[in-house]
Amino acid sequence: MINMMKAESYRLVRSKGFGFFWIVMLISYAITIITKEAGGVTFGGPMPATESAKLDIRMVCMNFTYYFTLIAPVFSIITAEFSEHTVKNTISSAVSKKEYYLSKYVFTMLCTLVMFLLANLMYYGANAIVNGSEHASQFGEYFKAVMMQMPLVTAIVSAFIFLAFFFRKGAAFNSVSIMYPFIYSAAALIYYSACRKDDNKLAVRMLNYEISTMFSKLALGGSSGYVRNCIILCAVVTVVSFVLGYLSFTKREID
Amino acid sequence: MKEIVLKTNGLTKKYKKFTALENADMTVYRGEIYGLIGRNGAGKTTLMKVVTGLTEKTSGEFEIFGKTGSAAERERKRIGCLIENPAFFGNLTAYRNLRYYCMQKGITDLSQIDEVLKMLNLTDARDRKFKQFSLGMKQRLGIAFSLLDNPDLIILDEPINGLDPIAISELRETFQKLNTEHGVTIMISSHILSELYAVADRFLFIDKGHVLKEMTKEEIDFECMRCIVVKTSDTKAAATVLEEKLSIKDYKVIDSSEIRVYERSAAADIINRELIRADVSVSGISEAGISLEDYFKQLVGEESK
Repeated sequence: MINMMKAESYRLVRSKGFGFFWIVMLISYAITIITKEAGGVTFGGPMPATESAKLDIRMVCMNFTYYFTLIAPVFSIITAEFSEHTVKNTISSAVSKKEYYLSKYVFTMLCTLVMFLLANLMYYGANAIVNGSEHASQFGEYFKAVMMQMPLVTAIVSAFIFLAFFFRKGAAFNSVSIMYPFIYSAAALIYYSACRKDDNKLAVRMLNYEISTMFSKLALGGSSGYVRNCIILCAVVTVVSFVLGYLSFTKREID
Repeated sequence: MKEIVLKTNGLTKKYKKFTALENADMTVYRGEIYGLIGRNGAGKTTLMKVVTGLTEKTSGEFEIFGKTGSAAERERKRIGCLIENPAFFGNLTAYRNLRYYCMQKGITDLSQIDEVLKMLNLTDARDRKFKQFSLGMKQRLGIAFSLLDNPDLIILDEPINGLDPIAISELRETFQKLNTEHGVTIMISSHILSELYAVADRFLFIDKGHVLKEMTKEEIDFECMRCIVVKTSDTKAAATVLEEKLSIKDYKVIDSSEIRVYERSAAADIINRELIRADVSVSGISEAGISLEDYFKQLVGEESK
């Protein structure tokens, strides 16, 4: 497994997906640091008030951007192997399907989590240096906000890994993973609009557990019940997608 | 006793209702070049895919270096493979692609990469991206990949596809060199019979998922052997002349009007002269034989042309 991960590192740093991730993050971070305004994509439920929070914490609330940027490394690490058919080289002589899946899963997970954490820490440092303490929080406060999002990022990456092993084709993987938040939010909002005010509990719940909403609420420290539910939801998604990805890969033929 | 490196027993692979491989039995011994002969869709690739773990068998058994089950999976590290088309990362150079696989396999001696590239005449293309390779170069890089880590067994699926005649000839020499000088066992499939015949020691004929025959090169030679066909109305008298006057023992009476002489030293003109001297009427005498292609057609049940 260690050899597999070393090889993946060697290839990943030479892939376009890796470069894409850092370029997008650096550009978006540079813009927000210079303009002193948090920016990013959000949709779904009502966002928690962030006016009192400093720039870096408000930016952590916008970490939904990673949902899209983390598609690139998963694409490079897993989907490229299927579209280039290189997976057969590894399975036929280096490792078993089981070892291959575990190596890919662990490496992709570690790699994306480290990239997520590193990018956030870089942002904190850059913002603190450029904008000073007026716009920078205490490190502990910032770090806690980022770490609260880790279960969510883990679940998202795990789901991406499953989708990559399931669809195998880059186009299908990209389409489904990119479209999912839009479709979910649209469905939740339509349902919310269609419900009577006294009968919209499910719609509100759907909006509260929409991905960009969870990113914001977890960063700002939602209620303990909400955080608990988010963690349970993320754990379920992580475990289920891990198992489904494994079954999807090991039970099917490799082209 | 020869060591068995690969053995299958009743190996079957079904895709829903379609049976791609049925009860395939074969044995590959250490040190030989084993040829899989069959038409497109005969089951050659399926057999290789099952053995290399790219697909699961439906039933049957196979052993690699004497190991079965999960132990056989571990033995796959001793196998180098090229199944179907060579596949590498288009954005990486030949060297970097091979280096990636060296890292995967835990190969620390990276000089191997240049060695295999040199062996396959790819040294000049070392730093060229895979996506810029011609089909022949891709094929050669695939074979170079299969040679990494000095495998004990190389499995190559249609490795000469897309190669020009000179490249095919060079590749044939490479296989023979690997086999004789490095003792590598090679299992190779092709539907180009003449090429496979030129390189392999033993053959497995396969068609529509069924193993038709497993035979050595000598057995094929015997089956396809060139012979002298003697047409005569008196086969008994002709046989007596062959044995007593010409000391020919290796012949066969095909029917009441034909005898086939297989003895290599026999010459048609001498046989003809002796038969006429002995007053045996000869209505025709000619040299004949069967080509490998015709033999294969006979095996698969098609009429030989």
